[in-house]
Amino acid sequence: MIFFSNSVIVFIFIEALLLLLLSIAFINVVGILKSWDFSATSTKQYLLEKRSYLVLLIIFFTLGFKIILLPYFIYMIDELNVLVPGAMCAAGVINSNIYGVYLLSLKVRILFLVGLWIILNHYDLQAKDYPFFKKKLWLFILIFFLIIAESILDIFYLINIVTDTPVSCCSAIYGVSGISNPIPFDLHVSELLGLFYLLYGLTLISALYRYALLSLFSNMAFLYSAYYSVVYFFGTYVYELPTHLCPFCMLQAEYFYSGYFIWGTLFLGTFFGISAALLQYITGKEIKKMYRYSLAFNSAFILFCSSYVLLYYIRNGVFL
Amino acid sequence: MKKFLPYIFILLIMAGIITIFLSRASQQQMLTVHEGNTEYKPLPIKLGHYQDTQCGMPIEHLMNSAQAIAPNGKTWFFDDVGCLAIWMQDKEFKDKLIIWVYAKDTKTWIDAHKAWYSLTDKTPMHYGFSAHTNKKENYIDFVSMQLRMLRNENMSNPHFRRELLGEH
Repeated sequence: MIFFSNSVIVFIFIEALLLLLLSIAFINVVGILKSWDFSATSTKQYLLEKRSYLVLLIIFFTLGFKIILLPYFIYMIDELNVLVPGAMCAAGVINSNIYGVYLLSLKVRILFLVGLWIILNHYDLQAKDYPFFKKKLWLFILIFFLIIAESILDIFYLINIVTDTPVSCCSAIYGVSGISNPIPFDLHVSELLGLFYLLYGLTLISALYRYALLSLFSNMAFLYSAYYSVVYFFGTYVYELPTHLCPFCMLQAEYFYSGYFIWGTLFLGTFFGISAALLQYITGKEIKKMYRYSLAFNSAFILFCSSYVLLYYIRNGVFL
Repeated sequence: MKKFLPYIFILLIMAGIITIFLSRASQQQMLTVHEGNTEYKPLPIKLGHYQDTQCGMPIEHLMNSAQAIAPNGKTWFFDDVGCLAIWMQDKEFKDKLIIWVYAKDTKTWIDAHKAWYSLTDKTPMHYGFSAHTNKKENYIDFVSMQLRMLRNENMSNPHFRRELLGEH
């Protein structure tokens, strides 16, 4: 039944097409890596360089599409909630079988690596002697294998979406059960918020003063704390309901699709912060732009989230 | 001074983060699960520090309490055997659980499957089932107790309460 949905058909078709293109690129990449010698002046090397140009174009195109495909996947899952009994948003559909959460988490990780590859490719093409050529091809091979795993998980996940038995809705999945605290380290919401703003402070300093190692760890920790802060605190202000705890409902039209902005800015901010450090390690150069982007997106995220709380307080004179 | 300013800020933020975790650690923590009980023996319960996994209540008395030990040594605690019966129903490993209940008559930990359960005792969650080592009239076995809990045929149900107490 799930496979009769238009959005699922489109998704599977695009995924299959991209996988086909990536497989072609992968076969060529293995061949290029085996014989690549930039210092050689042979015909073989000349042909390899010509072929690599086309292969890199294919990789760039397909990986670029993968970036667009993640928001589409989330949109598709959200749309499927009408077919899954009990599901009120993407949370119920994602948790309708054991593969959903792993799949989404893998997709986000792949997106991160794809972003890294695109930036590395950009700096490699800018240089005349392709200094990161082999590194970016090895990175592509890693991404390719992860995409194969993702495609297998995609199929397992979509096949196993139940349409005849009720699944839990987001309130049941993320709601407070009264037994155990879902926030890590058994933190209270106020402590989580303290941690959230302090970690933002660290990302701010690391971006302003361009401390690579600090940027790496502070952004990783900030991403972790921000996820829980949005689900267990800021989200309740988006929904204007203290009992509504869900990372997905905010992606719906009722909440003006604000979830896309919230999660998008968080991903981009932390991505640039972490990538700044990783790229510095890979390229040996400090890329100032990355710190600036990280600062801008993280700040946009925190301002946007905080404004919900502030506006609610101004309107109602109380906090939730 | 300007040179050291970012380091001062970093130190202050780190101090703030450490303070949050230290304050959390110093607060009284409830224990819900104990890991590594591979001897599968009942563990000593520190009253007021152990939390019932099902109802979330702290365990204040040994009487009526229970412990369930999974094959991997994970141990869960309950203030009322009724809570245990509800908790275990959807566990995949429910048939492999080793369950101890605190017997009211002998005041010792006994195997839950060998215990006999009274129906109308006063228990923390008012289900009425109290474990006993020795059988008496109207006492039921573990499976019957579990069934009654799942069917809501216990003292917390006003209809059955009247029936059990003979009130009409």
